[in-house]
Amino acid sequence: MKIFSAIKLSAFRSLKTWKGVLIVWLLSLILVSMVALPIKGVFKSGLGNSMITEQLKQGINLEVFTDLGTTFKGLVSFFKTGLFMAIVIGFLLNVFLTGGLFSAIKSSAGKFSVAEFFSASAKNFWSFLVILLIISAIILFLGILIIVIPLVVVGQADGPTEGIMMKTALITFSVFFLLLVVMLLVADYARAWQVLNDKSGYFRAIGFGFKQTFRTFFFSYSLMLILLLFQLLYGWLVLSILPGITPVSGIGVFLLFLLSQLMLIIKIMLKVLRYGSVTTMMEQKRQ
Amino acid sequence: MKNLLFVLICYLVFLPYSPAQIVLKEPLSSRQTGYNIEASLDPVAKKIKGDMKAFWVNRSIDIVQNVELHLYLNAFSNANTTFNKESGEKPGNKDSEFGWINIKYITDNNGIDLIPFMQYISTDDNNIADKSVLNINLPNAARPGDTVYLNIKFESKLPSRIIRTGYSGDYFFVAQWFPKFGVYEPAGMRYSTKGGWNCHQFHRNSEFYSNHSVYDVKITLPKEYVVGSGGMLINEKDNGDGNKSSTYRAEDIVDFAWTAWPGYAVYKDQWKHVKITLLSPPERKNQVIRQFQAVKNALEYLEANVGPYPWPYLTFADPPAKGGGSGGMEYTTLFTSESFYGVPGYLHLPEMVTIHEFGHAYFMGILASNEFEEPWLDEGVNTFWEGRIVDHYYGINSGLIDNELFKLSDKSMSRLSYVGSESRQASSNSEFSWNYPHGTYGMMSYNKTAVILNTLMGIVGEATMNEIFHEYYKRWAFKHPSGRDFINVVNDVVVRLHGYKFGPDMNWFFDQTIYGTGICDYKVSGFFNGKVVLPEAVMVRNDSLQKPLSGSDSVSVYKSVVELERAGEVILPVEVLIHFSNGDNVNELWDGKSRFKDFSYTGNRKIQWVKIDPEYKIKMDVNYINNSLTDEPDRVPVRRLTNKLISFMQFFITFLSL
Repeated sequence: MKIFSAIKLSAFRSLKTWKGVLIVWLLSLILVSMVALPIKGVFKSGLGNSMITEQLKQGINLEVFTDLGTTFKGLVSFFKTGLFMAIVIGFLLNVFLTGGLFSAIKSSAGKFSVAEFFSASAKNFWSFLVILLIISAIILFLGILIIVIPLVVVGQADGPTEGIMMKTALITFSVFFLLLVVMLLVADYARAWQVLNDKSGYFRAIGFGFKQTFRTFFFSYSLMLILLLFQLLYGWLVLSILPGITPVSGIGVFLLFLLSQLMLIIKIMLKVLRYGSVTTMMEQKRQ
Repeated sequence: MKNLLFVLICYLVFLPYSPAQIVLKEPLSSRQTGYNIEASLDPVAKKIKGDMKAFWVNRSIDIVQNVELHLYLNAFSNANTTFNKESGEKPGNKDSEFGWINIKYITDNNGIDLIPFMQYISTDDNNIADKSVLNINLPNAARPGDTVYLNIKFESKLPSRIIRTGYSGDYFFVAQWFPKFGVYEPAGMRYSTKGGWNCHQFHRNSEFYSNHSVYDVKITLPKEYVVGSGGMLINEKDNGDGNKSSTYRAEDIVDFAWTAWPGYAVYKDQWKHVKITLLSPPERKNQVIRQFQAVKNALEYLEANVGPYPWPYLTFADPPAKGGGSGGMEYTTLFTSESFYGVPGYLHLPEMVTIHEFGHAYFMGILASNEFEEPWLDEGVNTFWEGRIVDHYYGINSGLIDNELFKLSDKSMSRLSYVGSESRQASSNSEFSWNYPHGTYGMMSYNKTAVILNTLMGIVGEATMNEIFHEYYKRWAFKHPSGRDFINVVNDVVVRLHGYKFGPDMNWFFDQTIYGTGICDYKVSGFFNGKVVLPEAVMVRNDSLQKPLSGSDSVSVYKSVVELERAGEVILPVEVLIHFSNGDNVNELWDGKSRFKDFSYTGNRKIQWVKIDPEYKIKMDVNYINNSLTDEPDRVPVRRLTNKLISFMQFFITFLSL
């Protein structure tokens, strides 16, 4: 019950931070558009007034791209660079904004203020960045330890069947996922602690994250598992709906754009719900 | 008397593979060579001991002083063999990693030891480190009609890195494993100017050119091994010592290979008269139906459009992951597919490989062209048929990949490879397989050829193309056709069916495409609609829809001009479709010879759009984008793609901060 009350409470808080969610969404749209819109421009100019676009009506047609010749090579090159830049900037931007989101969702937060949101983002940026880098490094290490090494060992053994390889992969990925839940809990508790304590100390924050995770392991783990499964389910829903829709009219394309952006906003809301649930759990324990 | 005795001995010795029909009702080829091999596999030493009796009949009018044999496994004997140099492969450092074939004993029909007459030759590149071709100067020259008999004891060591042939643990793919005759080509055969052996070294990109032969092969190996081969199983017995011996016979095939692995599961199916056996890792059980269906599709399509598959059996193997290097190979009645555990249903890669490798039973197996010298006639023609079969059965636009996110046809894949290559003009298709520059062998011999033949089909029509291949099969089955022989068939059939519509022959097409390096690119460079005064309106030229302009003095009259250009070197006839504002469509045919062509129309209608090759029949055209022009381009697909790209990147970035 405690879990669901935490989720319920944080759901209300998440809704209260809708402006923060919109800020995250808007900035991501601007960032990505800076990469995608020039690509669209070059693509349009490469196609000129050709009717070849009829070959794109059913989706991606590689022949059209290849026929662009050097234009296509330029597009690929620009896309690679642009994607890299978007990932780096997007990562830093998300780290920055997460500080604001955690701050806005805590119980002591009053009415949402954009100024306070950005102020909290700036204040927590470095701590959040280090926390995130450390947790990411641990996750990477776990990935190598749990997935890569067993698969390499099994693969190099004389004559493993494909079934054994697949079973090994399934088991190692499952174990990794279960441990990933723990690491996300640690990251979330650490960030929540950082925001609530107003102190800068990322190692202390991570230490708290571990302590809090294992102190309330059953509740925390169950909560995070439920939220992650919900997020995965939502991800599956998005993947099932969006890519398959291929509107052929301008209004259809616009509606698809609106739908995809709405789904993205819901995705960000679910993330905020997770942050809020962990923060609520922590606050409840403190009381 | 002495001669009579000799003939009698020879008859008895070669009785097991005398022309008695076991597999086929009657011989399909001239059976110039034959092999009787007793082989035993040592799975620990990775060696095969062989005792072989082989013959070659001199059916030429030449007196032949020597024979040449392929000893392909020697390509894996050191780092400097032609095969290893061409592929950049290193055979390894340990003895267990090398591959080789040693002739322990060899005599002729008179019992004369031929070892002193043996000499390794490397006429392709004079590489003395390459010992993949053996020349034997015959003590007694072979006169016209003579048969040369060889008794050989050999030992073959398989290489540890499977590149077509070799072993991996307890998995064996045994190909190119025995001494095999080259092909003696008398003057005139395949347009050669003088008689001689055609026996090339083992190259990275080619290995097939042999006479159709009869094979009687007895394989002895531990009984837990499951064996598949290019022969029909005649007899299998338990030797009582932990080994079993299986006897196979194959008739009128160009090569004999086999595979052995204890882990194979065996599946059987039948298509008409053909008993089909599939050897596959048991984990891939759910792909068995797909594999069988693919091979049955290929049998059905090729029988209908090319000619019958004559053998009553067919074996194919889907190698386990550790034997992946042997995947995608062809030995006529035995071939290997390529797949992996859990391959999704929308990905038709296993079907594509199965259909391609089976197709070689026709293109190289039955129509035994020279892969070394004219790879396009083997791999290219086969890729053309692969594309047709795959797209016919699995989707015209989605033969290879049929996912709601992404679709790709097999024919498109070939065109992508050709159009997307920066070296597409580096050479023509008339090169020997090892002479293609800048890594263009695959693109040129497989894909460009398929694109060329699809273009030909676009010009002459599908029915004519099928008739061409029916005729090709009729004339050249179980013989050795050259590229020119194929083109002669094309010329005859096209003239027979179309008269001189395309000229007295189709050499102009092949000279530009197979034997040329030019590209094909037709473009619409522009169109315009200008208002004219009425008197000019009656001076209509090239207006196939010329209509009386009744009442046109009360409406606007336009002179519309379409400007077309030939941007590439290749000249092909192209169709042009012009659409007018009043809904009229005008079809024009341009012979494509001049560098530009204008079509003019006068009337109370304006041109809205123009398309060259509206049905995309000319697959060789390297740029479809400039094939059409409209004054109202449809931007919706571009917007949709951009929006999806934006959404995809946004979702991706939200994952980055945990």
